[in-house]
Amino acid sequence: MSKKTQKVLLWIFSVLIITSMLAACGGTPTQAPATEAPVATEAPVETEAPVATEAPVQTEESTSKEPFTIGISNPFISSEYRTQMIAELIEVNKEYMDKGLTTELIIESADTDVAGQIQQLQNLMAKNVDAILVNPGDVQGLNATLQEAVAKGIIVISVDQELNVPGVYNVGIDQKAWAMESAKWLAEKLGGKGNIVQIEGFPGHPANVARMEGVAEVFAQYPDIKVLATDTGKWDEATGQQVMSNFLAAYPNLDGYWTQDGMAIGALQAVMAANPAKWPQGVGEGRCQFLKLWQEALTMNPDFDSIAVANHPGVSPTGLRIAVNMLMGKQVDKSKLGGVNGLSFVIPLAAVITSKNLDEGLAMCEGKPDAYLLDDIMTDEEVQQYFK
Amino acid sequence: MKNRFTWDFLMTRYPAFFPLILLAISIIVNWILQPNMFDRETLNSNMRVFLPLVLVAVGQAVVLIGGGIDISVGGIVSIVNTILATRVGLDGSTELMWRYVLVSILVGLLAGAINGFFIAHLRLQPIITTYATSFLYGGLALFILPNPGGGIPASIAEIYRTTTPLKLPLSFFIIAIILLVWKYISSTRYGKYLFAVGGKADAAYETAVPVTSVQFSIYVISGLMAALAGIAITMLSGSGNAEIGSAITLNSITAVIIGGNSFSGGIGGVTGPVMGAITLSIIQNIISFAHINTWWETLVKATIIVIALAAPGIINLLRRSGP
Repeated sequence: MSKKTQKVLLWIFSVLIITSMLAACGGTPTQAPATEAPVATEAPVETEAPVATEAPVQTEESTSKEPFTIGISNPFISSEYRTQMIAELIEVNKEYMDKGLTTELIIESADTDVAGQIQQLQNLMAKNVDAILVNPGDVQGLNATLQEAVAKGIIVISVDQELNVPGVYNVGIDQKAWAMESAKWLAEKLGGKGNIVQIEGFPGHPANVARMEGVAEVFAQYPDIKVLATDTGKWDEATGQQVMSNFLAAYPNLDGYWTQDGMAIGALQAVMAANPAKWPQGVGEGRCQFLKLWQEALTMNPDFDSIAVANHPGVSPTGLRIAVNMLMGKQVDKSKLGGVNGLSFVIPLAAVITSKNLDEGLAMCEGKPDAYLLDDIMTDEEVQQYFK
Repeated sequence: MKNRFTWDFLMTRYPAFFPLILLAISIIVNWILQPNMFDRETLNSNMRVFLPLVLVAVGQAVVLIGGGIDISVGGIVSIVNTILATRVGLDGSTELMWRYVLVSILVGLLAGAINGFFIAHLRLQPIITTYATSFLYGGLALFILPNPGGGIPASIAEIYRTTTPLKLPLSFFIIAIILLVWKYISSTRYGKYLFAVGGKADAAYETAVPVTSVQFSIYVISGLMAALAGIAITMLSGSGNAEIGSAITLNSITAVIIGGNSFSGGIGGVTGPVMGAITLSIIQNIISFAHINTWWETLVKATIIVIALAAPGIINLLRRSGP
């Protein structure tokens, strides 16, 4: 590189830097009516004009501006649940795209922390989406940001996990009831008496908190059920297996174990590997791989029993359908909603598999990958029950 | 004078030169993809998310200049967050908030002092020591607040989230103050000692530099900056979560390296790492606005970061092998 080219390069950089600085200053004078028309030149979605940014609740009537843009915010990607969720969202959205109702989804999905998810949401707002589906990574950390979105007239739906934020809708199963179902099964199976261990998901994660509350409530009704220990398997198969191996070594006389999503496969593998004289009865999960493993475990020990309650990713695409219907101006029938602030669409469980209908469950897995979670996505007609 | 503006001169004389280029490029790319990037609201909402990382990176930069490394910063951020969220509470008073802000700062200084004591006085390896204390601090945070929740009053969080003096984000002023303080510190005798200790501790010791005190001090500074970041991130999210700091540690180190400092110590500054932290954050925005396929996002982001980290080395290699 000659001296001359270096100088030229340096000049180019300086000019670039100065222009960007000027642009930074130039940006400020336009503050008053911000976000409105002037910058819409580049984006193909010329949605801004009719929405007066200030007024918070006025979208209901003026929403005949199809196609709608829907944004997704997901802060955790390393699980089959989320992968299936994103794939289904894209698929269901296609249906609406073909009808000209929506544009391509704007998906913000990456492993990130609270600050990162706040940034995801802010970026979605900056992209002028009409609705946001958020799978929250924190129970409260997003509240202020979500309220900003609601104030902008964006329809915000928290999928999979319930949030308590005014104006934010929730779509999901009842996590607590979901966990109580399997806890109850375990308590009954053991005749209300025995020593058990618990393997939980991420401590503090909203869904895990709700589930463990439910489990504790159930076991409280059975005073002879003793919880010897609780540890986290971080919703990870390998960690679940390791934790269960430790438990089996520490408590050779275990009567049962309660676990959930993602870790049940690992836990059962640990039991099968240890093959103790007395097998504990254990809770499973609504995943094809688990059902197959269960079948295999029965060949080793016909007395083993389990239950698989599906926590289905289909609630998110169902939430997408609800969002589209709301954007089309349909009125939500508030009497059908539940939850702490009456803004929750509570979706029924997709499947409960016990030894009685294990064959049915296995049939549902026909032609699906092992990681497939037993699922159900509501059709557009089924979703209509929530609207007037 | 003739050589004033050669590449080598700029690179060695101004450690922040290359980070500045990276920052400029990332700002321009982001701006092209997101034309409303410089709207006051957008700028402010970006900067309020970036600030915690910037603060931690400043502390980390000082540690790296002094020849150490601090892996416990995320844990300190978490402790401060959980203290504020549990002690102040969602309907706490403003007075209570400021009192615990003070407590938080003291906690940060203390945590840094513990690191400093182990490393400077007991001569333990910085990387192992702070790795161990990261679990100590992270564990303490989990003990204070086992399940996410609690928080600070929304009205106080709003101060951080929406204040824009002179129509500029609050973060700009905080960063400006930090840079001025750094400019002053680096001109003092302490500043010279810092670079001396980081460059060659033995030689510094022989020339009567108080090596132990300087090494101790860098971890206290890092603890302080982590506490400030913890306060900022608490005001950003308004709530408590013992895991809140876990992602920030590695990001702060990456930011400092992008910012032109080196693991070998004794070189660099704080300006570069500040720009490095902002660049790192903007890269995430670029990915978001470039409409990259979801399944590729992480890979693309990592690639950009690796290129940013390797760029000075690659340029030097090309220049050396050139004519």
